[in-house]
Formats: sequence, structure tokens, C-alpha cells
Amino acid sequence: MTVASALALRAIRKSFGGVQALDGATLVVERGSVHGLVGQNGAGKSTLIKILAGIHHADAGVIEVDGVKQTALTPSKSERLGIHFIHQDRLLAPSLTVAEALLLGHEPRWPGTPFINRRRLERQATEALRRAFDIALPARALVRELSNAEQQIVQITRALLNQPKILVFDEPTTALVRREADFLFQAIRRFRAEGLTVLYISHYLNEIRDLCDEVTVVRNGRDVARVDARSTPTTRLVSLMIDRSVDQLFPARAPRFGEIGLEVVALTLEGVFRDVSLGARKGEILGVTGLVGSGAKGLAQALFGLARPTSGEIRVGGAAVRAKTPRAAVAAGIALVPEDRRRHGVALGLSVRENTTLASLGRFRRFGFLAARREVAAVDGLIARLSIHTPNAETPVRALSGGNQQKVALAKWLIKGSEVIVLDEPTVGVDVAAKADIYREIAELAANGAAVVLVSSDLMEVQGLADRTLVFFRGAVVADLETHQLDQDRLLTLVTTGRDDRETHVKAAE
Amino acid sequence: MSKPRNRLAAALRLGAYLAFAAIVVAFALAAPGFLKLGNLLNVLQQSAILGLLAFGLTVVVIGGGGDVVTGGIDLSVAANLGLSAAIYATIIQRGYPDALAVVACLAAGLAVGALNAVAVTVLRIVPLLATLAVANIVSGLEFVLTQNSVVTASSPLLSWLADNGPLAIPVMAYALILVTLIAWPAVQATPSGLRLQAVGAHREAARAAGLPVTAYVAGSYLVSGLLSALAGILSAAYLTGSSPGSSETLLSVVVAALLGVVFSPRLTPTIGGAALAALFIGLLNNGFQLVNISSYWVSGVEGALILFVVACTPAQREALS
Repeated sequence: MTVASALALRAIRKSFGGVQALDGATLVVERGSVHGLVGQNGAGKSTLIKILAGIHHADAGVIEVDGVKQTALTPSKSERLGIHFIHQDRLLAPSLTVAEALLLGHEPRWPGTPFINRRRLERQATEALRRAFDIALPARALVRELSNAEQQIVQITRALLNQPKILVFDEPTTALVRREADFLFQAIRRFRAEGLTVLYISHYLNEIRDLCDEVTVVRNGRDVARVDARSTPTTRLVSLMIDRSVDQLFPARAPRFGEIGLEVVALTLEGVFRDVSLGARKGEILGVTGLVGSGAKGLAQALFGLARPTSGEIRVGGAAVRAKTPRAAVAAGIALVPEDRRRHGVALGLSVRENTTLASLGRFRRFGFLAARREVAAVDGLIARLSIHTPNAETPVRALSGGNQQKVALAKWLIKGSEVIVLDEPTVGVDVAAKADIYREIAELAANGAAVVLVSSDLMEVQGLADRTLVFFRGAVVADLETHQLDQDRLLTLVTTGRDDRETHVKAAE
Repeated sequence: MSKPRNRLAAALRLGAYLAFAAIVVAFALAAPGFLKLGNLLNVLQQSAILGLLAFGLTVVVIGGGGDVVTGGIDLSVAANLGLSAAIYATIIQRGYPDALAVVACLAAGLAVGALNAVAVTVLRIVPLLATLAVANIVSGLEFVLTQNSVVTASSPLLSWLADNGPLAIPVMAYALILVTLIAWPAVQATPSGLRLQAVGAHREAARAAGLPVTAYVAGSYLVSGLLSALAGILSAAYLTGSSPGSSETLLSVVVAALLGVVFSPRLTPTIGGAALAALFIGLLNNGFQLVNISSYWVSGVEGALILFVVACTPAQREALS
């Protein structure tokens, strides 16, 4: 090749505290192309992007921009090189007007005065929006009054004002609806026609196929393939993304199902998901999965009482859960293990023992005081059984690793014997060894007769643990299948495209 | 989608203006002298000190963000005013000229602002606590200087400031108008003002836009320190010297800055809003005096106003998120 690539990251390595996030990843983007970057959660995509943005520094590897080798990228240097980022979360001050937010830092002034020339400011903003997107957003509207899509348009236009050479989109359609996403794609195609180079990161594989020229697949910190985006079938991308090396993590189970423990009927959370029905039997692990923004996470929040559904019903043991607050959920017998365990799952300042028995103190009470000996015995038994790594039961939970904190959060419900247990991303940020312990714990919760709802974006986890799996895609349930009917390929296809390509299209019976 | 938000904002603003008008009408009916020109000029004079302090606090809130707990706030403005007045009175009493006193006051005010800036931007202490601690230090210095007693002082500048200017309008009223005419455009119409607002509204976004975020935040505390010192000079003129108890104005200043938010179209802190709010509180004080209600009630009303405004803002923020 005679022409240098617009961007090349070669053999990039990066570790965080002993965890190898990138292990020799290479990403080469040709000038004037739209290049896709895909991989499962934790594959190393975001680390790679943060290195390009100068937020992290690579431990090893080479970065070239326009064929020129770059050392020590910083955010401002990356920007000087013409690399601009459109992040998933919109970085705009909500109380500024569209025009102010667009031209912040480059405000036109009345000549010879320190004052902003508002008329010119607004004209320049309107002009920039028209040139970039051919739309007329009111220049005086406040950013906080705009929809997600409109805010994103403002942000992209702002990046375009800097005359970028490379635009990096990080999951840009997560908060957009179909029509808005199509509008964005048209704009990106136009940018490409004007010679801009685009790096496009997305979980939605059909977007990649429609939009990109080439696509790089990363897995376990390495690039495993760089293929033509249009001619490569989605199924091929899916199989490239899947890591088949981990299997022994999951406990062998012989589930026995009882009656329905948790029932959800036609539940709708406006703008998040609609018309979701499900039933989890006692002894069953029900997996719920989907991409960010698909509604799976919203279901967990609705079950937790953190979000108020617009219509529909949640029933525990046949009785409707009325008041929709976490307190009401717990009172109705739903146990919650939230994703942000530091905020909701464990009390960091309390000891392992106190955390474990916090939800079931009544059982250890005698004459109004705690029956210490029985409590200690019960907790010590659990610590041993769950291999919670702690010096002793009186150690504050703050001192434990993330995985062990999570085990404590689960132990709380194991000792209480709740009927319905909702887990939200139980192994986020947890190392592999602790994962195996947590999986065993979850299996035990189900074996004790609880109906377990496992909300997780880790497909491996869902497939390895769940008896049945619900797949969310853009706010709707697109599949409700016995997990043995699912393999990783089919699950990933469902999650990323919302379509089930199998001919054996068996819907699970109620 | 944007309609209900706008309606809420408009309702709040309309409510604020209606409350303002209602108070004026009520006092006009209850106290015959209330609407007389002389009395209104009096109010303007009495609002000058409060106004300057409220401008300073407003600048800090703009740059630090409106979050009541973690956002920008400067609780040292009242103590700073006290120290400044004490320095002015002490210097005059010892026979030095006005010029030296003015310079010393401004320097002290800036130093207090710098201390706040360091505590907030370098030591990264939550402004609420950082400026509370600085307020204590500053009050302590004032006590050391004055032995917690009244220091009387008279000088040409102080007399001029306390007197009437052209058209029989008090000089302090002119001072308030002048500072407003400088601060308003500086904060609301210059790139620096806009950037300060961006820093307060979304710090990460401002950083991503390449703005020197820390410098803006630090600068806001310097401005506040300087305005507090100016207010201190006015206070020395108004009271012909310095007297203990300056910290009592703090509540009024916080009310003025917070109340200013509901007077502004974007529901953000603005100089114009703070000026209106300061006048509002001045009118309240004055009206209560005229109808012979104990001024202690004003504290109660101010407290209630703080509760009201702060209660409105989280509701507002929730509606926006």
C-alpha cells in the first residue's frame, strides 16, 4: 500500500491492576472509510478507544495517525491530530442554548468589545446545523429541551466545526429510536462522501453491516478478524465475537420447578419497554438479557421498584405488588441484588456478619436482643460454604474485594430464604474465581426453592446459568426460550439484531 | 416532550413576579409612605450591600453548579464583609488616608477569595464546607482586629458614600446601579460569562470543550471576595465604622442568590435575578419596618423563602432529567 492508513493502532497492550484488558490488539482504519469495531462486553473495545482518545496510555504498541507515529497521546493532542469523539453520553451543558453550546469557546464578538454578538452566534449555529445535517434546530432552544437525538446532532455538529479528520462514534444509537438512527446513518454516509474517516463502535450488528465498509472484531483483548462489512454475514461476525474457551465456570444443576413464584403481566415502562409478560417458577433461574437500552435493565429497575411502570402488574405468589417502591418490593418477598452493590447491595461500614443477617434479624432475636451465638454460627457456616475470603466474620465489608462483597450481598438473601430473587448484573467487575463462587451461590438460591431472575448482559452467564431466557431488543421481548434451545451464536444474534435466524423456531410454551 | 418543562419554568417565574407585585401592593396599602420616592431610594440604598454580596455569591453558584449540596456556594461573603469593614475602620481610626484603607480592604477580600479558591480547587473540599471554614477564620480575624467591639470611623470617602449624590439620590444607590451595570453584561453577555455558566452546568462537557475549568471556578471565588470587600466599604460608610454581627446578613445573601434563580428565564442564577431578589428583600425589610412588624420576622420569611426555592429546584431538576 502506498497511501498511509488514516489511523493504525498496532499490537496495543494494556493492563489494569493485573487484568490484561488489551493483549496485542491491532486496529487499522483506511482513509475515507467507515470502519466498524465490534466485540462483546469486556472484549477491550472501550479500552482501545480510550487509548486513542489519550485517556489511557498503552503499555506497549504503536499508534500512527496518517502514517505518522505518535507517542504519548493526550486528549488535547488527539484533538489537534483531528480525531474527535462522539460519546454515548452527551457532553453538553443543559442550560445553554443550542447556539451557545455549539460555539462554546469560539463565540463571535462585537468588534472592539468584549461582548458576544448573539445575532452572529445564532446565525453561525443555524448555518453549521444546516450544513452538517440540513435541519433547522431553533438556535435559541435550551439544550435540556432537546430530545436525545437532537442533542446528539448538536454534539456531532460541534465536532464537525473543528474540521475533524477522523470521527469516532461510540455506541451512538443506544438512546435513539429507529428513525433517528436512520437519520444519523444518512449523515455518516454523507460525511464519508465528503472524505471524512469514521470509526463506528456498536453492539448492533445490522447497523455495522448497513453502514460500514470494513469491520474489526475484538475478543479477549485481541483483534481476531478484520473483514469486509457488507459481504460478511452477521452469523459469521457473531461466531467471531464468541469466546468458546470458558465453560467450567458453571455449576452442574438438576433443577426442580415448583409453582410460579414471580409473575409479570403486560408490564409497560413508558419509553423503556412495553407489554412484557413473564413467569418464573420456584427453583427456576430465568435469564433476562439484551443490549444497553434494550429494556432488560429497565425491567430490573421496575422489579426493584426503582422505576414506576405505566401499566401492567407484578405478582408474587399470586398476589399483586401494589406500591411500587423498593420497600414494597422487599415486603412482597422480592429480594434485590442491585448492580451497584456499593450503593445498594451491602453496607460497607458494617461487618460481614452484620451484612449477612441484616435482612433477617428477626430470626436471630430473643427477648428483643440479638442471639449472638446462633447468628455467629449461621454466618460462619455461610462464609465457609460460599468461600467468602475474609479474615473473619467481623471484618468490615469495605475491606473485601468486589467479588467477595457480592458474595456477601447474595448471602444475605440465602440466609433469609426469599421466594423471589432478582439479580442485576451480579458479576460486573468481578474476577473469574469469584465468578464461579457467585454462580454456585445463585444455583443454590434456586435449589432452595427461590424463583431467580438473572438480569445480565453477559451472554455466557445467561446461557450457562439460566433455565429459560428472555431476550429484549429495543424495548420489546423478542424471544422467550428454554436455554437448552439456545447456543451462544443464536443468543448473540437475537441480542444484536432482534431476529431469530433459526429455522427451528420453537417458542417456549408457557 | 419539552412543553411541560417549559410550563413549569414559566409558572415558577410568573409566580415569583406575582409574589413580588403582591408584596409591593400589600405594603403600599398598609403603609402610606411605602411608595414615596424618598422611601424607594432608601430601599435602593439599603439594598446596595446585600446586592453586591448577592452578585458575588451568584457568580460562584454559576461557576460551581446549582447543586445545593455539592455545587458552588460561598458562605464566607458576610464574614468577608465584616473583616473588610473592620479593616477600613481601624485604618481610618489610626489616622491613615482613605486610599490606603480601600487598597487594604480589596487586598484582604481578594485574599479571602483566594483562600476559598485553594480550598475548593486544590484541596477539593466541598464548597459548602470549605467556605464555611473560611468564614470562621475570617470572623476570627475580625474579632482579633476589633476585640469584638464597635470601631467608629469617619473620613471624606465614607461621608461621601453615606450621603446623597446628584438628584438627591443616595451615592450607595448609584453604587448598586453602577456595579449592576458592570456585572450584568460581564456575566451575561461576554464569552467568559458564558463559559463560566458552561463550567457550572456540566463540568465534563466544559472540559471536553477545552475550557480551563479550574481557573474559572477559582476565578469565581476571587470575584466574590472582591465584591464582598466592596460591600464591606459600603457597610463601613453606612454604619460610620464597623460593628460586630456582620454574619447576620449571610441568610439574606443566600436568599437573594437562590431567589434570583426563579426570576431568570432559564431558571439559572443570573445577575439580573440576584438584583431583583436583593430589591425584593430590601422592600420586605423596609415594609416590615413601616408597618411596625419586628424585623425579626424578616428572618423567618427569609428562611421560608430558602426552603421554598430549594424545594423547587430539585423538583425542577427531576423534571429535567
